[in-house]
Amino acid sequence: MEKIHTTCVYCGCGCGLFLHVEGDRVVGASPSPGHPLSRGRLCIKGWLAGEFVGHPDRLRYPLIKRGDRRVRATWDEALSLVRDRFLKVKEAYGPDAIAVLTSAKGTNEENFMLMKLARAVLKTNNVDHVARLCHAPTVAGLSYAIGSGAMTNPIESLLESEAIMVVGSNTTEQHPMVAATILEAQSRGAELLVFDPRRTQIAAQADIHLTPAPGTDVAWINGLLNVIIEEELIDEVFIRGRTQGFELVKEAASCYTPEVVESITGIPPHLLRAAALSYGAAEAASIVYAMGITQHTAGTDNVQALANLALATGNLGREGTGIYPLRGHQNVQGACDMGALPDLLPGYQKVSDPRKIETFEEAWSVDLPRAPGLTAVEILEAAEEGSIKAIYISGENPLMSYPDRDSVYKALKALDLLVVADIFPTETTRLAHVVLPVASFAEKDGTFTSTERRIQLISKAVSPPGEALSELDVIFDLMKRLGAPYRSLSPAEVMEEIASLNPHYGGIRYRRLGIDGLQWPCPDEDHPGTGILHREAFPIGRARFRPVFQKELHESPDEDYPFLLITGRTLYHFHSGSMTRRTSLLDREVPGPVVDVNPDDAGRLRIRSRQRVVIESRRGRLEVEARIDPGLMPGILYLPFHFSEAPANALTARALDPASRIPAFKISAVSMRRA
Amino acid sequence: MMIAFLSNNEMVPLIEALAKRLEVIAPVLSGGQPVFATWNGQELALDAENPLSSPLEFLLPSREALFRYVQLSGRYTFEEPSLPARLILGIRPCDLFAVEVLDRIMTEEPCDQAYLGRRRSTVLVALNCTRPGSECTCAQMGSGPGCVAGYDLALTPLGDGYLVESGSPAGVLILREHPQFFREASNEEIARKEALLAASREQMIMVRPDLSLQSMQEAISAADWERLGDLCLRCGGCSFICPTCHCFNVLDLGVPDGERIRCADSCILSGFSRMTSGANPRATQGERLANWYRDKFVYMPEKIGLPGCVGCGRCHRVCLARFDRRKLEALP
Repeated sequence: MEKIHTTCVYCGCGCGLFLHVEGDRVVGASPSPGHPLSRGRLCIKGWLAGEFVGHPDRLRYPLIKRGDRRVRATWDEALSLVRDRFLKVKEAYGPDAIAVLTSAKGTNEENFMLMKLARAVLKTNNVDHVARLCHAPTVAGLSYAIGSGAMTNPIESLLESEAIMVVGSNTTEQHPMVAATILEAQSRGAELLVFDPRRTQIAAQADIHLTPAPGTDVAWINGLLNVIIEEELIDEVFIRGRTQGFELVKEAASCYTPEVVESITGIPPHLLRAAALSYGAAEAASIVYAMGITQHTAGTDNVQALANLALATGNLGREGTGIYPLRGHQNVQGACDMGALPDLLPGYQKVSDPRKIETFEEAWSVDLPRAPGLTAVEILEAAEEGSIKAIYISGENPLMSYPDRDSVYKALKALDLLVVADIFPTETTRLAHVVLPVASFAEKDGTFTSTERRIQLISKAVSPPGEALSELDVIFDLMKRLGAPYRSLSPAEVMEEIASLNPHYGGIRYRRLGIDGLQWPCPDEDHPGTGILHREAFPIGRARFRPVFQKELHESPDEDYPFLLITGRTLYHFHSGSMTRRTSLLDREVPGPVVDVNPDDAGRLRIRSRQRVVIESRRGRLEVEARIDPGLMPGILYLPFHFSEAPANALTARALDPASRIPAFKISAVSMRRA
Repeated sequence: MMIAFLSNNEMVPLIEALAKRLEVIAPVLSGGQPVFATWNGQELALDAENPLSSPLEFLLPSREALFRYVQLSGRYTFEEPSLPARLILGIRPCDLFAVEVLDRIMTEEPCDQAYLGRRRSTVLVALNCTRPGSECTCAQMGSGPGCVAGYDLALTPLGDGYLVESGSPAGVLILREHPQFFREASNEEIARKEALLAASREQMIMVRPDLSLQSMQEAISAADWERLGDLCLRCGGCSFICPTCHCFNVLDLGVPDGERIRCADSCILSGFSRMTSGANPRATQGERLANWYRDKFVYMPEKIGLPGCVGCGRCHRVCLARFDRRKLEALP
């Protein structure tokens, strides 16, 4: 038996673990005591992370669509077909009829090369990935405000906080290692403030739990700032020395008195004041947030409102302070860093900046497209309208994870070419013209970048099943077939290319990573990496305040659709469930979908626990079992999106945040009745 | 019983000789940390702390194929995997005690054949603990720091080498077959072993003087389990890492051909005790947690006459909620 040290494949915490390998099979997983963050601990998904790897459902051979079936093909047949159709589409409709969706589950090296395939070989900036559905507002909002869209401090810095504000994050279930750190900080004396319409486990542990009505975040965050300003708890030295634009924000916040906030959000004034005093008076206070902030049509405004709060109180650039956006996938941070974004090159360098794009043109000896491409949801809209004809999807399952499932289905059906590279058959591979079987995290080398900017190694523990290949090799093969002059590189060599083009990764070399990894920015080979950002200055010089105002929601409960549906995840499953539903203990723990209903609503509609109900929105309908949850506010329903039996995204809308193009997953007006 | 002395520089030659006939499992470094893995010439990590994953996984793996089923002309045939003969080098007294606990449970009628098969083909070379870890409580639980039974050979590190004691015919055989690596042990060396182990015991008891099986039983009956259940982060780590946890689940993977897999289960999960109707006799996390503790400190002593806790401290090392024995005692 061998024990191979690697990095967990689930959430953005980036915990270290050993895969136990016997006879080329993964037979177990265990925590890594020496890992800098997880220190010998894992969550339930981490403990069971090795199980799906050897599942008999794994994709073993390339598949090609013949009629309504997908039949086994050779790699040569599959990739020749991909090449021919790409070229045909490019010739008939131009390069921008092609799009590439990379994978936040893939490695940095795979994301970088897929991005390069899109830009340098296919010649389109239509490249995006699932960050569009989770933290696009963070990238947009924090980049504007403080010059960087990443978590400002290491997770362990939370241990030094006096007050920790957790907003729209079910932390114990979605980022258990962060939750463990927060609760440890609380046991050492930090005050824990949780803002969530649901009474989650961390909300139940909070010193103050506030339950704003969904979609009213700008109002209460401005309200907090207003109290802080009135109580003179702002950090004037910080504001004067390191920021610009405070006056306008001050003016905007003054409209949000505790009484106004109560009328919009339902938060009682005394609790708002208590929370404001706790955050404002702390010597070091931090803000932790997740999808409850970002997945709104006002996602970028929400992020800016939080940044305004941190800037006004000087809670940045020091131990125990900071803004902690929690990234959902183990490498969604890395996929963003690698420039798998339609408007940004690796290292967040703008496509529209001629000097930046020329650097890449020189390095790759090609002309690159200069107009920003389409975002993920827009790519599918364009496919439905017919202007996108071919999509390469790596390890994503848009039929389950994108909003408005009916439209996604129509879009994917309309394509001339849909290529899906994945480890398991999914709802989306069932629509593909070509399915490419690729290696899972246990079957390849590479790096993942965790939510705290920690670049960490993953190591090949076993061989991929059947004829499956590492996706990096598939990309190089495809590049060659498309006539690109790039030779195949090992993952370590790809990292050297990344280092030469992404200044934050300038000093990253495989031999330097060990089990501690390195936190970017790490500009050169002697640089030890950076824990806390913005200590002395912001990358943009002065940080920018921007006034934000509460806006109308794209959809509110009305007579026909009287409930507000929130979608999300559970502790025991991950996204569309392709891995966790094939992990026996996880699947047994939560074997199917349930919608959470407040007891009063349930009583009124005569719905009992385990009763089947029909939920309907303007987009679609589904049938699901109900569970009575006293921790939910009246008028609100909660449904996880893991389950194809009741796909939550049949109900969600494609309403987008204008700045970041994220869909508003957290707000759908729905009706509910007994089935 | 035979007693001998193995000098440090004879250790690797001895293992090389043993590895010709057996798969030697030993603590080696992976990612700079000690783990039990197959020895292929790597540097040994016998001086490092006890690896986090216990060597019990070589007797009761967290995942194993019991057999493979293959359909041939409409009839099923079954293939059982062959088990390698193994020698586990460096199993600590706490883990050795856990082997005794599992022996009693798994070989009770009806005997667990998969366990017995592995158990029979495994030689155990124990390593007594002269330097206990900070979470170790084997002295209080009566399982260490020196092992008293259940080993084929027991090693005690004396600095320049190891005092080697045989505990079974298999152990004697190893000593007899490889005389070139051993010399006779002196009375001073035997006395030094006793002194080192006494000091080790002393050290553990000094850290937690009041801990005992009985004090744990009292703490368990006094604890506010609902409160502890609210704090538990439901990772299941305590049950996955505990060397005496042995509950498993069985599933058939693959149609028409495939494997019958058994994998570690966890009573920390609600699905473990939930019935088909949805009713759950251990409905809250607090009840499940209490059950895990009671199993270790109350039920197992009653049923098999041995504590289910061997004092290895692993449940504390892996606890995501940093919920531990001390917290349990501190809470009313």
